[in-house]
Amino acid sequence: MSELARVDTTRTGTTQHVSLTGELDLSNARALTDALAHAVPDDVTLVVLDLTGTTYVDSAAIASLFRLSQRLRDRRQDLRLVVPSGSPIRAVVELTRLGQVIPVDESAPGLTDAPTTYAAFPPPGAASQPPPTPPSVPTEPTSTVVDDDGGQRSG
Amino acid sequence: MTASVGAADTSGRAALPDAGSAGAPEAPPTTTSDSAQPASAAADRRATTGTPGTPGPFGAPVTLPRRLGRLVLIALAYYLGARLGLGLSLVGNDVTPLWPPTGIAVAALVVVGRSYWPAVAVAALAVNLPLSATPLAAGVTAIGNTLAPVVAVTLLRRVGFRRELDRQRDAMAIVFLGALASMLVSATIGSATLLVSGSITTAQVPAAWAVWWTGDAMGVLTVAPFLLCLPLFWEQRRWPWRQWLEGSTVLVAATAVIAAASLTELPVLFLALPVLGWAAWRLQLRGAAPAALIAAVLATWSAAHMIGPFRGMTLLEQMVTLQSFNACVALTSFFLAALVSERLQTAAALGAATSELERRVERRTAQLSAANTRLVQEIQERAEAQELLSHEEARARREHQIAETLQRSLLPDRLPDVPGIALAARYVPATADVQVGGDWYDVVQLPGGLLGLAIGDVAGHGLQAAATMVQVRMALRAYALQDPSPPAVMRGVHQLVSQLPVPEMVTLTYLLFDPAARRLRWSNAGHPPALTVVDGVGSYLTGALSPPVGVTADGSFTEGGAELPPGATLLLYTDGLIERRGVSLTDGLDRLRREVAAAPPGDGLEALCDRLLDTFLDEEHIEDDVAILVMRPAVAVDGELDLRLPAEARNLVQVRSALRRWLRESGVVDEDTNEVLVACGEACANVVQHAYSEQASSGELVVEARLEGDHLEVRVRDHGHWRPAAERGGGWGLQLMHALVDDVSVDHAVGGTEVRLRRHVGLEVRP
Repeated sequence: MSELARVDTTRTGTTQHVSLTGELDLSNARALTDALAHAVPDDVTLVVLDLTGTTYVDSAAIASLFRLSQRLRDRRQDLRLVVPSGSPIRAVVELTRLGQVIPVDESAPGLTDAPTTYAAFPPPGAASQPPPTPPSVPTEPTSTVVDDDGGQRSG
Repeated sequence: MTASVGAADTSGRAALPDAGSAGAPEAPPTTTSDSAQPASAAADRRATTGTPGTPGPFGAPVTLPRRLGRLVLIALAYYLGARLGLGLSLVGNDVTPLWPPTGIAVAALVVVGRSYWPAVAVAALAVNLPLSATPLAAGVTAIGNTLAPVVAVTLLRRVGFRRELDRQRDAMAIVFLGALASMLVSATIGSATLLVSGSITTAQVPAAWAVWWTGDAMGVLTVAPFLLCLPLFWEQRRWPWRQWLEGSTVLVAATAVIAAASLTELPVLFLALPVLGWAAWRLQLRGAAPAALIAAVLATWSAAHMIGPFRGMTLLEQMVTLQSFNACVALTSFFLAALVSERLQTAAALGAATSELERRVERRTAQLSAANTRLVQEIQERAEAQELLSHEEARARREHQIAETLQRSLLPDRLPDVPGIALAARYVPATADVQVGGDWYDVVQLPGGLLGLAIGDVAGHGLQAAATMVQVRMALRAYALQDPSPPAVMRGVHQLVSQLPVPEMVTLTYLLFDPAARRLRWSNAGHPPALTVVDGVGSYLTGALSPPVGVTADGSFTEGGAELPPGATLLLYTDGLIERRGVSLTDGLDRLRREVAAAPPGDGLEALCDRLLDTFLDEEHIEDDVAILVMRPAVAVDGELDLRLPAEARNLVQVRSALRRWLRESGVVDEDTNEVLVACGEACANVVQHAYSEQASSGELVVEARLEGDHLEVRVRDHGHWRPAAERGGGWGLQLMHALVDDVSVDHAVGGTEVRLRRHVGLEVRP
């Protein structure tokens, strides 16, 4: 088992900030993005996925990001990516033309300096959120550590 | 005087008044106290001086009237005895074969003491006056008659005679000393007197002397024992009526035998002997002495009257026959009686000894029984204690097993496969009689190809320590993932340990190794310093040391740094490896450094671990747990990379990590490195996804890289069978490869597929 990536989430109003640190590859990308999609509350309108701390993405990770974008769009939620210009993953992002589907910013929009929670614990705001209006979507913790072999990879 | 007499009275019982020294010690033990010895001595002194007022034979102080009464009684008995003796004379009044007064005198003086001799003297004079030629002759004869008993009693006293006549020596004494020897005195004096007074001629002297002597001796032998036996009837055990009957029968039988012998012509005189033997055997002295007296008197009477067996005999024949008969009677009765008495005493003593022995045996048996009971009780108590102990032991052993199992199960099963980095570890629990400790180690793979290494020791033993160890280890993994910097990890662990319900002291070293940068960063909380060996030179990472976690209030930790080039060795260990009784910690550290530095460079880490355990641990007794963890970054072989791993998704990061390090060490610039990593990663991901999809288990993924000048070639190989391209879907992988490298070739063959990536790379300018 390798702990490849860590996820931190913060919420500002209707914006969910998700910071992804580490590496995203075939072993963990799909499980991570699926978990992220589950974890985003329904009243959030914008998810900002900050890949500043992400040092590696492969094609499987890019595919997962496309899937995440699609699922959020189905829920009327927008997804934006943050990839700095000097990032090691910049080349892959550009080559896969990810920006044509998901808006990519070079830096995160101005965030209030909210405390950062870390893996495996829900952010302080999550518990105080009103219950989601459409109860059909199950609420899950909004932040998760996703390992490889997450069990959600389909054969 | 009276006081000392009184004192003697109480203890001198049954002793001869004149023979106190001889009689007292031999008196029956039941009647003699320990104080008898000095008292007897006093009695002896009195007897020697012949002081009047000697205590009587039966203990009562003798008053003067009583003494006079005794004197008269003795004199009277003597006189009457003499008259009886004269009645038994063989020839007129001259020859008396049995002279009872002598026996009376001896018995009287034995019983009441020699001081009563005047009674004898007076009576003897009275007897002899009418018989002697002159009063002077009568006086001299009387003197002789008195002297003889006195001499007899004196002699008897000297040999310790006992008037009970219950020992053979007493029988011997009265026969040879009391009778035969002493009577020489009276016989000689009497015969001489007869000669001098003219009563007999010189020729008659021997016969007269012989008659006188035998008569006196027989008087002693027959009469004295009878008289001496009389006090025994009340001094000794009383006879029951059956014995009285038996005694009477004996007397009647003796009388009848002698009478029959005397009154008829039948020579049955000696039939008296068996009767006497019977009496002596059955009744001892008390039965034998009266019978002997009767037999002797009757026989003498027969002889005097010339009847029975004595009819027609000459005087000499009569004398010889009578005296031999009387001697036989006396000797038979006394000796047999004494013999039987002695035997009875021995039997009684034996019986007493036996019963005493039995009593002792019983007492001893009782003691032994008590001791045995006590012992049994002790054994039982001990057994119970033992049982309790073994129960306790079993519980402790079970806990030990649980703790050991727990600890073993929580240590890493196997170390991660990290390409380009060799790892080995050992854990040796303490010998079974010591409890399981809290030693542990861990290797954590972290993002960015970083490697976290930890080794620690929870103070204490048993389940508690093992449980703490588990928490610390798990927490450390989580903290390292969140922020891998050593001080941050240590702070987290410190907070956790401080909040434990039972705070424990935990020593811990945490190191973060960046293989690409060859950098080692660490923090140490009270743990023995890690050892590095670079080019055969060992040095301890002594910096960045702080107290053990959980002991101080503030959890501030510093960070140390060192370079760890390929081929260098890093050793982490717990104190159990180097701590020995009698060996200082410094010496232990020096020895460890020498050992590790001296290890052959060609040896692998497994061999190094075995070597260290062999060198430092005593197989018989391991006092404390030992954990060791060694790491060695591989040396690049001829500048080529050669990785072989299971084709699994989780290993993709290993490939990237190894390739990244190799590229950097080869001087490839970061930008190109990142692109090559993606291209190679895509090729590897394809292998993982497609090469072995038809197999149950994953096959091998081979990655080789070679750099010639600025021309890089990476080959990714598998031994599987790819699915047709149509089924694969997704095209980004190949697209990315083509975009990121100059040339991509895919070669499908029966034995597997090889993807070759080629590209020119930028190289850093090296000094």
